[in-house]
Amino acid sequence: MYVGQAILRREDERFLRGRGHYVEDITLDEPIAHAAFVRSPHAHAAVTRVDTARAVGMPGVLAVLTGADWTAAGYGEAEGVWPVKDMSGADARTVNRPFICTDGVVRCVGEIVAMVVAEDRHQAQDAAEAIAVDYEEKPANTITARALDPDTPLVHPAHGTNEVLVTEHGLKEETEAALARAHHVTEVVVPTNRVTAASIEPRCYMGHHDTVNDRYTVWTTNQAPHIVRRYFTKSLGIPEHKLRVIAPDVGGGFGMKLYHYPEEPLVLWGAIVSRRPVRWVGTRSECLLGDTHARDHHTVGRMAFDEEGRILGVKFETLGAFGAYESQWNASITNAYHFTMLSLAYDIPAIHTTVRGVYTNATPVDAYRGAGRPETIYQVERLIENGAHEMGIDPLELRARNLIPAEKFPYQTAIGIIYDSGDPPALMEKARALCDYDALRAEQAALRAEGRWMGIGMVAFFDMAGAGPVKMMNDLGAKIGCYDVASVRVHPDGRITVFAGSHSHGQGHETTWSQIAADRLGCDIDHIDLVEGDTDRVPMGIGTWGSRSLSTAGMAVYTAADRVVAKAKRMAAHMLECAAEDLDLADGEFTVKGTDRKLSFAEVANASYHSGDRPADLEIGLEETSFFDPADCTYPSAVHVCVVLVDPETCAVTLRDYWAVDDVGTVINPMVLHGQVHGGLVQGIGQALMEECAYDPESGQYLAGTFMDYAIPHAEDVPSFGLDSHFTRALGNPLGAKGAGESGTIGAPGCVANGVIDALWHLGVRQITQPMTPKKIWRAIEDAGRAQQ
Amino acid sequence: MAEASVTLTVNGREVSATVDPRTLLVHFLREQLQLTGTHVGCDTSQCGACTVHLDGRAVKSCALLAVQLEGADVTTIEGVGGPDEMHPMQTAFKENHGLQCGFCTPGMVMKGIDIANRHAAPDEATIRRELEGNLCRCTGYHNIVESIAAGAREMSG
Amino acid sequence: MYPFTYHRPASLDDARARLAASEDGRPLAGGMSLIPTMRFRLSSCSDLVDLNAIDGLAGIERHEGGIRIGAMTRHAAVEASAEVREAIPALAALAGSIGDVQVRNRGTIGGSICFADPAADYPAGILGLGASVNTDRRSIAADDFFTGLYETALEDGELVVSVDFPVPERAGWAKFGNQASRFAVVAVMVSLAGGAVRLAVTGAKSHVFRVPEMEAALAADFSAEALEGIAVASEGLNEDLHADAAYRAHLVGVMAKRAVRAALAP
Repeated sequence: MYVGQAILRREDERFLRGRGHYVEDITLDEPIAHAAFVRSPHAHAAVTRVDTARAVGMPGVLAVLTGADWTAAGYGEAEGVWPVKDMSGADARTVNRPFICTDGVVRCVGEIVAMVVAEDRHQAQDAAEAIAVDYEEKPANTITARALDPDTPLVHPAHGTNEVLVTEHGLKEETEAALARAHHVTEVVVPTNRVTAASIEPRCYMGHHDTVNDRYTVWTTNQAPHIVRRYFTKSLGIPEHKLRVIAPDVGGGFGMKLYHYPEEPLVLWGAIVSRRPVRWVGTRSECLLGDTHARDHHTVGRMAFDEEGRILGVKFETLGAFGAYESQWNASITNAYHFTMLSLAYDIPAIHTTVRGVYTNATPVDAYRGAGRPETIYQVERLIENGAHEMGIDPLELRARNLIPAEKFPYQTAIGIIYDSGDPPALMEKARALCDYDALRAEQAALRAEGRWMGIGMVAFFDMAGAGPVKMMNDLGAKIGCYDVASVRVHPDGRITVFAGSHSHGQGHETTWSQIAADRLGCDIDHIDLVEGDTDRVPMGIGTWGSRSLSTAGMAVYTAADRVVAKAKRMAAHMLECAAEDLDLADGEFTVKGTDRKLSFAEVANASYHSGDRPADLEIGLEETSFFDPADCTYPSAVHVCVVLVDPETCAVTLRDYWAVDDVGTVINPMVLHGQVHGGLVQGIGQALMEECAYDPESGQYLAGTFMDYAIPHAEDVPSFGLDSHFTRALGNPLGAKGAGESGTIGAPGCVANGVIDALWHLGVRQITQPMTPKKIWRAIEDAGRAQQ
Repeated sequence: MAEASVTLTVNGREVSATVDPRTLLVHFLREQLQLTGTHVGCDTSQCGACTVHLDGRAVKSCALLAVQLEGADVTTIEGVGGPDEMHPMQTAFKENHGLQCGFCTPGMVMKGIDIANRHAAPDEATIRRELEGNLCRCTGYHNIVESIAAGAREMSG
Repeated sequence: MYPFTYHRPASLDDARARLAASEDGRPLAGGMSLIPTMRFRLSSCSDLVDLNAIDGLAGIERHEGGIRIGAMTRHAAVEASAEVREAIPALAALAGSIGDVQVRNRGTIGGSICFADPAADYPAGILGLGASVNTDRRSIAADDFFTGLYETALEDGELVVSVDFPVPERAGWAKFGNQASRFAVVAVMVSLAGGAVRLAVTGAKSHVFRVPEMEAALAADFSAEALEGIAVASEGLNEDLHADAAYRAHLVGVMAKRAVRAALAP
């Protein structure tokens, strides 16, 4: 069995030798031209003139294109793939993110106004600078919390409001009643900071138009190439059979590389106009500004407790950022991926939430690793933490009293979703032992007596991973079918190529999908190669996002391999003159049970393609495809505990320890799993302590445009991690696997935040807006000190 | 503005070229020598994806001009390890799962070798401090730290 | 980058001549700040005169009066120098806290002080240790060298050749770095020499500055406790994403104490 083993990654050597193949590395027979963009320097302005005259004749310039040219060409817009209706039943007040400004108004810094295509990068930049654009600045608002204030400028005045949509979920009356009868009510204002994925590979696109054969090719840093092909039918109107989308090696995605960003169709448009392949390589500044941002919810939460600290109900009111426009998947974040998960790992009888999506003059928001769940977990857990302190109950003890007991699974939350399997008390007990909780509390008390501030943070939660099934996700708003696809092609020599509709950009599918396939096919893992990321080679795919690949594409590999085995067994049975049921397949051989009669897998494969001596109804060839629609989402769960030290002088936070105990069901490769958890944790820690897509609240200027201002964690900022697990099988897929890609990211912001608050509670600090930078912690302590005087 | 010529050694091979003086070393390596293992991840020399060795020491090839390197000896990720066997630091990254998407990896390996060149048995704190100029967004650093410790052991052993 | 002509003179005289002959020439030292700003097209020049091929501009010498560091000496060399570690360990600590290893392998002391970034570390070292900056035409006292935001007392075409550091009885370096760039939010160099104290702060204003009240208190009693209650006014301090003026003022006090403690550490 390969599944369950820490098989070293089969894709590693090319990366380690510098032979990775990213979009920027690709060369073609023709010289590749460069694209450069003119972007709005204003958060909100009328564009009164775009004069390209000087740029057009400059050296090396091949094309200069504006929004007027886009309109004249009759091109379209980005498709919202997850539209959600307003609770009134009306459509949301959707304004899709434009590719290039066509209506004379720019609504956030960085919006594209014009494009230049030139022979080299310097010439493209020179010509872009030579384009004269006149702007008339308009009042702007970049702050989500202010979006619905009466005097706030409107981003889209035609709608008469900055509200995109309102949705309510849960048990309103029961929740109000719980708050009314509670022994104790905790209230916290819990904004979630605006962050961005900041993959180390910047976004990059290349477009090519083969005019002779009328075929188009796009190379893209994207996680879902078949969905990109769909996007192009709406943007440039290119039929799917005419377009090949290739997503080669991609340097990190995290959900952010899922969208039809403006530069993607513009680059292909530039190639069509200039009759040359055209590439754009994003600079870090362009990416920190133009990559979708994430989170940015402003939430007020109230939680009701009884005398014993049992949670009676929880109520949230949230303003959820959209930014200046609706990015393609964003409506799902404030809805499908928010309300569904509000119960976390707790048995909460009444939950109610109201979400208002709002426009601001800021970069559009969309999914980033966790998408909706980091906010949700942070909000609920901040209430629990403060509630425990206010009631004088140990925070771990209070959580333990509220966990969903193992015997209640499958467990339907008050919001209606059903967690198929899990055992939160077991996770909590393992976490308690792993961190030696009582010793930590003793240490905390001893340090506090010396004037040193140590805090212990914790969270306990469920995730909703593995989007599908198709029907359930359609019901939650998805316009794309949430299944996935794999083909298993056995070559006549018995070696195997697997084609999968997922996309690996760090997840290690070449290893893990091969582990699954090798087990099902009874073959050596080295006899299998994987192909992903090419719409001309892979039949179909929905892509890698939302911790879904294993339970959809991985299961499609599993299913297609089983179909191959079933067919091969029929051929082998014919050749061995036995019944198919009498055959065993192992170690590359079909053996008749209880005998030494056998045939190699390769012999059967060869016969499948080349022998006329076969069952009459058995078609030639040995290749099967599965379009796998899972029976359910998967519901991984986890308990995290951390220790923070806050420097009483500088107020800098040292994250000293971090433990995570995960339930991700069946594990394919524990080494890969741990890597996913480590990486996710550090992104969540970054959100908690340092990351912020900050805007100047007055001018709307973007303040975090380089890695000198946008802080992502360095190696020195984080500890090594202590991981443990307690697995319960997922019921929605035969592998029993649950998605593991987001668990770290979604748990860490709340865990670290609770650690900091726990460290400072005795000083009167009750809440600090993330990121909890030294500046903000110092201010919070100062304010608390003043309040106590 | 005049084109400028430069002659340097890259991965043991002497290279002469005429370049626009604005050409960064990283673009020279990638576009003129087709050594695309060295990556650009930022504009401000923060991320370290472009790390190469210049005369045996780690530098950021996005903050050097190619024309500056007359007579210099540059080693890139393609220049470490043999045609069959990987360098012990590369092997350590594979064995310790020190990479995911692979984009920061060449810079991390070059930095790891540089750390090992100066510290025979670096401890965790040393490795984390030494990595201040290299960013990774996938691994959470845990396994990179273990990889470099293992690679350094192997190199000194 | 905007276009420029590249020069690689082999002597200081040649460098001077090429700068003089250019319309808008700039010297290039380590390039760790200059090249990124040129990449952003935030700075440009007609001619870039690379000082890296000039012999004799790099090196560390111990002499009777102190330590002389050549302008083109890399930060890593200062960090690792046995002479510096023995005579002024705080200066080695400062050099070792600049940027990251790769940057320190390339960046130079001369380049750093000429660029005069408000958050750079070396300016605090120069001012806090009372160094003098030797150019191709004169010696400039630390107190006169840094004149404003990215501004120094250097004249057009004047090239820094070396920096002379007197050896103090004690000196201490303390830095609080920005979470993103690792540049100083606030960093302090303090030194005690012949009863005189110098305490210089970088990262907090347009350019490095001394804090006379702290120096006076430390001259009377060179201990962290002597700084208790001496606050730096927040008016005029830098405000950015990472620190507002009030927090910076607080940090000046904290880092000053830490620098003193570092100076007193055995």
